[in-house]
Amino acid sequence: MTRYAIAILFSGAATIAAPLAAQEPNAAALFTRADKGHCGACHQLPPGKPASRQADLGPTLTGERMRTLGKVALREAIADPTITNPDTVMPPFGRHRILEPREIDRLVDYLLALP
Amino acid sequence: MLLCALPLGAGAASDTVRAELQSRIARDHPGVPAADFALGAAAFDPDLRAKVATNADASAPALAEGKALWNRKFRNGRTLSGCFPNGGRRIAGAYPLFDARQKRVVTLENAINQCLKSHGEALLELGDAATMGAVMAYARSLSEKQKIAVRVPAAAEERFEAGRRLYYSRLGQRNYACASCHVQGAGKRYDGEVLSAAVGQAAHAPVIRDGKALTLQVRMRECLERMGVAPFPAGSDELNHLEYFLTVLSNGLSLQPNTWRER
Repeated sequence: MTRYAIAILFSGAATIAAPLAAQEPNAAALFTRADKGHCGACHQLPPGKPASRQADLGPTLTGERMRTLGKVALREAIADPTITNPDTVMPPFGRHRILEPREIDRLVDYLLALP
Repeated sequence: MLLCALPLGAGAASDTVRAELQSRIARDHPGVPAADFALGAAAFDPDLRAKVATNADASAPALAEGKALWNRKFRNGRTLSGCFPNGGRRIAGAYPLFDARQKRVVTLENAINQCLKSHGEALLELGDAATMGAVMAYARSLSEKQKIAVRVPAAAEERFEAGRRLYYSRLGQRNYACASCHVQGAGKRYDGEVLSAAVGQAAHAPVIRDGKALTLQVRMRECLERMGVAPFPAGSDELNHLEYFLTVLSNGLSLQPNTWRER
């Protein structure tokens, strides 16, 4: 009886979790959406990647540049760039809770995979 | 910190602040003639400048509505036009001004509403493009090409400084300051739009977008929303001080109101 109840509980959790995951924006959406990263407002992507509009307030984001920076530093730069550069115009996406930690992780993976 | 590098204390008189910021922006953009900063973003973007010229007539409907409101007879037979010297010609370049008696900054919108109030008429909504926007479009057109010459008497230095401080303060969820885009980022592109420089922003207001006249404070409020800030109300001390600061930065430039904008 107990095992049956646990099974029901877990199957319920699975049906709830699946739609939640499906609702989470993918990395490209995090990059472009004005209510999320909106990275494309300031940064261009390398040729071949769609960019929403012209932008040069920040540098062009190339895969080489991202990989040179490395995963840890890139994550920190998105979460709170003012730690390493107090004068930066870039928003502290993690510190100001514009992006959730898991959203920053997805964005980091996306940027590291750029050409 | 770069954004707060302007002099403070005894050197923070408005003249010093204005001169330093004007020379910094001129130094950062040596290819832009000083007078062109009055064009706002179009100073940096030949394509936008061409579109502005092509759409020069876009202000006609707002100007017609503004003119009708400017000359409309109040119940006592007076008009808005009668509240200002010379029917309001060549006055806009002196606004905002500091009212020493009330100890506050008075924008041209405030002066228009003071006129309405003194004649027992309903006030105009400060952010309403159809009424105050149109009146401002017409009133400022009466001063087109007038050199901006806003004075900062000693008693008003504090207000100028409040505006300067707000312009350089990082605000909201995005942690931007106005200066992030319009000093550090002037001439660059944000979300496809060329960013205007702090110097000159007050010279081309109101702008005409989708046929509507948008005052400087309406555009400030739009910027604040983009920054993730709950915007101060139009006519608040905060926005009046910001407008005062910005207009003093444009001293010496000619008024070029009712400039077309796409966004």
